[in-house]
Amino acid sequence: MKNWKIWMLAVMLAVACKKPYNPGVINSPQSYLIVEGTIVTNDVTTVKLSKTVNLSSATTTNPVTGAVLTVEADNNSSYALTEQAAGTYTLTGASLDITRKYRLRIKTADNKEYLSDFEQAKATPPIDSIGYKILSNGISIYANSHDPNNNTRYYRFDYTETWKFHSKYQSNYMSNGDSIIARPQDQMIYYCFANNTSSTILLGSTAKLTQDVLYQTPITQIAGNSEKIEIKYSILLHEYGLSADAYKFWGNLKKNTEQLGSIFDAEPSQISGNIHNIKDPAEVVVGYISSGTVQTKRVFISNQDLPTTFLTDYPYDCGIDSDWYDHPKTHINDVAVVLIPKQEIPISAFSVGFAVAGYTASTPACIDCTLRGSTQQPDFWKN
Amino acid sequence: MRRIYLAIFCFSVFLQAVSAQQNKTKLFSVNFQQATISQFVNELESKSSYHFYYDPALFDSLRVTLQVTDKPLGDVLDLAFKKTAFTYAISRQQQVFLTKGRQIKTELAPGFLQAPGNAPPTQTAVADYTADVERKVPDATTENKLYEIGVKTNTIKPGKAILSGYIRDIKSGEAVTGASIYVANTKTGAATDQFGYFSITLPRGRQTLLVKGLGMKDTRRQIILYTDGKLIIEMQEQINALKEVKISADKIANVRSAELGVTHLDIKNIKQIPTAFGEADVLKVVLTLPGVTSVGEATTGFNVRGGAADQNLILLDGATIYNPAHFFGFFAAFNPDIVKDIELYKSSIPEKFGGRLSSVLDITNREGNKKIFTGSAGIGLLTSRLNIEGPIIKDKTSFIFGGRTTYSDWLLKLLPESYKHSQASFYDFNLGISHQINEKNNIYLTGYLSKDKFKLNSDTAYSYSNKNIVLKWKHNFNNKLYSVISAGIDRYQYDISSTANPITAYDLGFNITQSNFKSDFTYYLSNKHTLNFGLSSILYNVNPGTFEPNGVQSLERPDQVPTEKALESALYLGDKYDVTDNLTISAGVRYNIYNYLGPQTINNYAPNLPKDAANILDSTAYGSGKVIKTYSAPDIRISARYLLSGDMSIKAGYNTLHQYIHLLSNSTSISPTDIYKLSDPNIRPENGDQVSLGFFKNAKANTIEMSVEVYYKRLRDYLDYKSGAVLLLNHHIEQDIINTQGKAYGAEFLIKKTEGKLNGWMSYTYSRTFLRQDDPNAGESINQGKYYPANYDKPHSFNFSGNYRFTHRYSVSFDVAYSTGRPITLPIAKYEYAGSERVFYSDRNAFRIPDYFRSDFSIIIDGNHRVHQFFHSSWTVGVYNITGRQNAYSTFFTEQSGVISGYKLSIFAAPIPFINYNIRF
Repeated sequence: MKNWKIWMLAVMLAVACKKPYNPGVINSPQSYLIVEGTIVTNDVTTVKLSKTVNLSSATTTNPVTGAVLTVEADNNSSYALTEQAAGTYTLTGASLDITRKYRLRIKTADNKEYLSDFEQAKATPPIDSIGYKILSNGISIYANSHDPNNNTRYYRFDYTETWKFHSKYQSNYMSNGDSIIARPQDQMIYYCFANNTSSTILLGSTAKLTQDVLYQTPITQIAGNSEKIEIKYSILLHEYGLSADAYKFWGNLKKNTEQLGSIFDAEPSQISGNIHNIKDPAEVVVGYISSGTVQTKRVFISNQDLPTTFLTDYPYDCGIDSDWYDHPKTHINDVAVVLIPKQEIPISAFSVGFAVAGYTASTPACIDCTLRGSTQQPDFWKN
Repeated sequence: MRRIYLAIFCFSVFLQAVSAQQNKTKLFSVNFQQATISQFVNELESKSSYHFYYDPALFDSLRVTLQVTDKPLGDVLDLAFKKTAFTYAISRQQQVFLTKGRQIKTELAPGFLQAPGNAPPTQTAVADYTADVERKVPDATTENKLYEIGVKTNTIKPGKAILSGYIRDIKSGEAVTGASIYVANTKTGAATDQFGYFSITLPRGRQTLLVKGLGMKDTRRQIILYTDGKLIIEMQEQINALKEVKISADKIANVRSAELGVTHLDIKNIKQIPTAFGEADVLKVVLTLPGVTSVGEATTGFNVRGGAADQNLILLDGATIYNPAHFFGFFAAFNPDIVKDIELYKSSIPEKFGGRLSSVLDITNREGNKKIFTGSAGIGLLTSRLNIEGPIIKDKTSFIFGGRTTYSDWLLKLLPESYKHSQASFYDFNLGISHQINEKNNIYLTGYLSKDKFKLNSDTAYSYSNKNIVLKWKHNFNNKLYSVISAGIDRYQYDISSTANPITAYDLGFNITQSNFKSDFTYYLSNKHTLNFGLSSILYNVNPGTFEPNGVQSLERPDQVPTEKALESALYLGDKYDVTDNLTISAGVRYNIYNYLGPQTINNYAPNLPKDAANILDSTAYGSGKVIKTYSAPDIRISARYLLSGDMSIKAGYNTLHQYIHLLSNSTSISPTDIYKLSDPNIRPENGDQVSLGFFKNAKANTIEMSVEVYYKRLRDYLDYKSGAVLLLNHHIEQDIINTQGKAYGAEFLIKKTEGKLNGWMSYTYSRTFLRQDDPNAGESINQGKYYPANYDKPHSFNFSGNYRFTHRYSVSFDVAYSTGRPITLPIAKYEYAGSERVFYSDRNAFRIPDYFRSDFSIIIDGNHRVHQFFHSSWTVGVYNITGRQNAYSTFFTEQSGVISGYKLSIFAAPIPFINYNIRF
């Protein structure tokens, strides 16, 4: 009887099984051109060129360098972009006429030529305000905008957020390689600034409204226990007006790529945009080049304005050690072993009698905020 | 019979012939009024020393009315047999041989006896009772007996008359469906309908009817047709069941019927096919037929000739079954002990069916035994079933009841800890009552209830249930016209609830209820025309989703998608016209009228723009019962058959169909949360048409059937979904729907061997199904608006299903299924865009999962075949997926520690042994 049960168990387990599956194609050498950017008439135009990489690849970026990019207007004027970093091309200082149509021409180093469709430059109305709502477990940041001419209708946002934070413990001493010295003011590593750019596609549409008013469009959420709002937080929001086609492209991209497939997920569909290989229109190019003005707005959110119930969780477990010059029990010179080679960073000195006997210390992750940010205060920062 | 004649003849030539004159001394005085042959003969024998020799069956139509005084025997017989084909011969030994047609010579010398008047019968005025005269309908059980039909007359008027009646199983009194009746040596024939009813127009006079039925012993009946009349034919079951494997209703029906793409399967065939858990499965067998595919194993849905899974109308005795599967699709929801047969219409869909684009799967349950109580039971590893049936009033009313349940929980308990709390169970019940009110009226009641519950490895509990009830009334107006009127209610519902987190505990419900009314008339206008006409109406009531917090602590916000109502009506007329003996045309039209009814609030979208939230102009609220939108369209159904020879025919057909109710499912396999949606002002009905051509040939005395069918089909306004569409609790589902066009074509080759030790079928299908989404207003296009293969596009598909009988008790079944792997969409690359890593997908369905291959084997061991014993038992032992091939069911991709990896899920990835014990009592 017992054997029989075991046998049945084996049967049942055999009924369904999950095995790794490599359809081979995943490592296909074929790669596709990715073009990301917007022709900005009132600011710097930045276009990033890259190629897709294999799914199993450890890196995700594969920049396309050495390409020649030009912005062309429908009045035959053209503006060349310059490569600032690998695969990143910019156009600065050109003043583009908002009434024109623009397109982007790309000539790659391997002599392939791509062209985006002409797009009417779109005047983006200013961002009226950026606000936030306090939720039970965090805050939700939103934006308001409106176009009195009812022309914009479709919007895209991206943002850069910057926040001031501090590490768990403030260190007043440091190792100079030979000994422990008092930490100079310009070497302080307690307060830092970190930043981040948006990683989800943010879209807004007023197409169904009688007026072109975007009210409280959600931008991002910050958890109440996040370091981002422990002192002060700032968000720089960019707003781009989109054509209906561009909006459709971004909407598709969002739906298709912000969730990876599982069994019951909807079937994915392929994304393409308005960029084509001149000689081979069938070649798949991902990207949509639209043009227009960008509107920006920056706001600050101070911790003082947020509920006191929001308590920051430090991202690491931290504790304080005591590192002795001569440990009373082990007689090991902890300072020489641990602090001088910077395995731990001293916080403050402790004395036996009048002599410094050692330092309290902790791990760099608990003390050195530069591991996650920079002590350099950005120019725009207002304390 | 011939041998008896011969013996009599041989015997008689040795007789010393005597002249009739030598017996004239004996004179007879007799007075007969409508005397039968035995009365006649007994009378004469009692008055003399003559001995009469005759075959009573030959003479049973003879009625003698005669009054003579003092006449010799010869004169008496002359008068009695005057104007008939009967003759006599009198030997010297005072033996009288009565024969028909041919006279026995009692001596070698020819010409001694003159055959009495073989002159053609003269025309006499005989009342022509074409009206249906009330009289006792004979139960024709004997082959050699001559049955008289209609009002007997001495002479038979030339011309034709209508014979109608029922064919029944002699043992149970059940109707024999799909039996064929035809006159030997002519092409005139008819088949019985689901009630066993037939009507056939025949030349008056003596006829031999050949009767063939599924699983029944072939039989024949001799009749004399005087006027229109009725006949009940009782057939015997083929007791030696293992010997016969018949796939089609009639050995020649495949060649002779006007329909294409129709497959009839008897439960006996279904039971021979090995299945994963050993229990006969109606739906699994359907998958072995040419032109039928599915997206994978253990799925509820099947795809017929390129249609979607929701484009099949599944009827159980006329009740619509919305979810035909149990246990995630592992079992069909139909009890194999109750099912009698199934019919799958892939191309020629009769006018009386409509409302689905691809096929009709018509499942008929047995009627209960009208004579004795019987039953059967089956025990398997996961399920058990029991059925009982018997008369309530003998020969008039019977019932059949079947139940099935599972006890799979014990199995789940053996699983590792993390699965231990899983539960799964189901049950289903069938009840059928049939009652004969009188000769002309029958009523049938069918009830069905099924319920599934499962809770797998999580705290989310799923349950779904089918509930159906149908009442049918069959009324015969006369021999030529009968009607079936039915009314019923079908309900399907599911429920998902979660109590894992008290704050987010919820209860989600969906249900659909439809009330049907249907009336079908069949009118045998003449021997060349059979008319079908009728009307039907379905009132739909759909509750697309009710979401409620579950428990007092739950903070979920209640949500309800407003219920939908619609009325789908149809009026149809069809004519089967036998143009010549060789050419039959069946043509009909079904006019559909669909009304979407209030109360409802409908969004009005800007014309020529994508239907999305951005383009809503306004919305209109409609009151209760208000007709919001009406769609109407005719469906055309035409098919024709031309007989090239007795066993070879060519057929062609064209049909159009409309569908007003749609299953919303955008995952590859049908999931438990799929819902139904009715067509509304923003969602057009689906429609399609199909043209098909077939060549049918039988060989070796109709034991081998071969057919080739080709088809081309178009689908319009087929529903596809935008990427990332959320279907559940979506108040604006039209915004996520894309109308898609489709085309499907294919060739199906089938060869069947219906008899012999080795029997079975083998089919190869080449078929393609492509979809195209090129609606410029859809807001997005799939594969740049080009055609792409559908999820169930499997170009090559091969099936073999065979049974070999070693002895009458042991037989083995073996089947093989191969098909091209189904198409899938794979991520093929990744890139960075808008601040995060994104995957790049191939064109929709640009890749395929590995090919599918499976072979199964089973042994059926029957108990002894003695007919009279208390119960019969049989064992079925077998192995499913002998080779243990890990066929991919699904593939998916997940990111794990920064690397995207693919996985495939296989179901039944090892050989699965099974055993089943069945008894019949």
